[in-house]
Amino acid sequence: MASALFWRQSWLLARFELVRLFGTRRGWLMMAAFVVIWFVILRFPILKAAVKLQQPDTLLMLNQLFGMAGMQQVLTWPLPEYVVYWLISLVLFPLLALFCCADQTSSDCSRGTLRFLSLRASRSAIFFGRFLGQLMAQMLLMGGSLLATLLMGWWRQGHLSFAVIEATLIIALNLLLVMLPFVALMALASALAKSARLAVSLVIVAAGLILGLIHWVGIYLPVVLTSLDYLPGAQLPQLLATAGWSTLQLAWLPLLQTAVLLTLGWSVLRRKAL
Amino acid sequence: MSRILIEARSLVKNFGSKTVLDQLNFTVHAGEPVALIGPNGAGKTTLFSILCGYLTPDSGQIQLFGQQPGTAALFGKVSALPQDAQLDPVFSLSRQLQLYGQLQGMNKATAQSEANRVLQLVDLNEYANAKATMLSHGMRKRVAIAQALLGQPELVLLDEPTAGLDPANALQIRQLIAKLSEQATFVISSHNIFELERLCGTVLYLEHGKLRQHSLTQQQQQQHAAATGYLNLLLEQADSARVKAALQQLAGVLRVEQPQKNEFAIYYDKSQAAALDITVLTLLRQQGWFYRSLSQGQTLEQQLFEVASG
Repeated sequence: MASALFWRQSWLLARFELVRLFGTRRGWLMMAAFVVIWFVILRFPILKAAVKLQQPDTLLMLNQLFGMAGMQQVLTWPLPEYVVYWLISLVLFPLLALFCCADQTSSDCSRGTLRFLSLRASRSAIFFGRFLGQLMAQMLLMGGSLLATLLMGWWRQGHLSFAVIEATLIIALNLLLVMLPFVALMALASALAKSARLAVSLVIVAAGLILGLIHWVGIYLPVVLTSLDYLPGAQLPQLLATAGWSTLQLAWLPLLQTAVLLTLGWSVLRRKAL
Repeated sequence: MSRILIEARSLVKNFGSKTVLDQLNFTVHAGEPVALIGPNGAGKTTLFSILCGYLTPDSGQIQLFGQQPGTAALFGKVSALPQDAQLDPVFSLSRQLQLYGQLQGMNKATAQSEANRVLQLVDLNEYANAKATMLSHGMRKRVAIAQALLGQPELVLLDEPTAGLDPANALQIRQLIAKLSEQATFVISSHNIFELERLCGTVLYLEHGKLRQHSLTQQQQQQHAAATGYLNLLLEQADSARVKAALQQLAGVLRVEQPQKNEFAIYYDKSQAAALDITVLTLLRQQGWFYRSLSQGQTLEQQLFEVASG
């Protein structure tokens, strides 16, 4: 019964976050900016690179270049557009999550809106509902950009193979996994901070301090440096060097990071004075 | 005795080294509205926040309907007007109230009609599609009251419901509370003692973190049973010395005090002047003195603060 209520309320709150993105003027403005940015990315770097990647000389040169960095696998995506999309989106979407998901609960807490909500929904439902809503919004934006890339590749090539459809699914799954810990990180930061801007600042400062501290301690105690492999986004260099289903071998890390960050954020919001 | 809605036992809340609520014990039964009074910083909002589950007490126990504040069993049963809380500026009033209704378990259509109903109650139905940023301070307060009336709450906690409202809207809210108090029990925090006196049957007086429970109904019964009666007379314009002297001449009057300009507190022996109010009115008519009010028994302000000093 309590579980059914939790899921119902979480789902209602998650859907409300989608309305925030797709049903408000502020959301439309954000989407318009997103569309413009992706139009530029698709029209210039992706389309131009895809055409170049069709040329054997360029492919050979890139094979040698990526090979030196151990990243030649990236060239094996079945659609040339996906090579560039993969490289750009692995960096862009975590950054987008960092800035777009910063206001999961912070403003509502400062404004007192959470007081209205918490009279009707548990803090757990509010926290996880908002997280789910933000994640769905990011997934829809990512899905839109991926679909646009696929359509562009289809238009350029004139046909669509099963391998391309499969690659689309793999990329979508990977980007979901990449974004998960970043959206969870912002859920935690948002529970701690009083505004979205402060949440972003908190994450940037905390990241700098943590990295600095690990490197400093690492000078005296090198084993501490291994902790760098467990921070959000740590798997990105390895992901850049892989392609196909093998990319999912690293899925455990973002899932673990998400679980830890969500537990911390949930715990903060449950204890927070509203 | 009606059922217990709120039960607090040895409730303590500290902020740093300051004890805001100190071993509070009180019980609120279903029925007449309850007033929560106290000077600034007395801990009224802290107590409200604990009742709503926004804050947790440092020690002691508090239960609403036998449940801890903030638990799922209280959703829809307990509602509140938290102090200074605002709606989300991105969405329309109607859209947000609809969400609140849905969170309380209503389906979409019912939640929408409930949103319209409560907006109508606070006379803001014209603004259903407006955003909170388009509203004045008073209107925002009325919307916040509207959200507290969604569904069928059994206990409504209102923190300063008429603060910042113009007199006409404050009156409207008082009338609304009086009307709805047959369906739900209201706990109202306010600085407006006259407002609370009209609405409430019980007063929780909070000062320096300590609480004094005070039943106005019992107080009235005690005053009726007492040998000494009390009349409070407020005149429009008066020569205070003349009025005071004339009142003191009346049979049965023990003493007359003047707590404020044009206001007279008359203490009298009931056995000698059972109908002193009629005698006073006759005197006023004979002297051509116009009065604003004549009331029996001490006001809540006088009972709490003992302002009736000569």
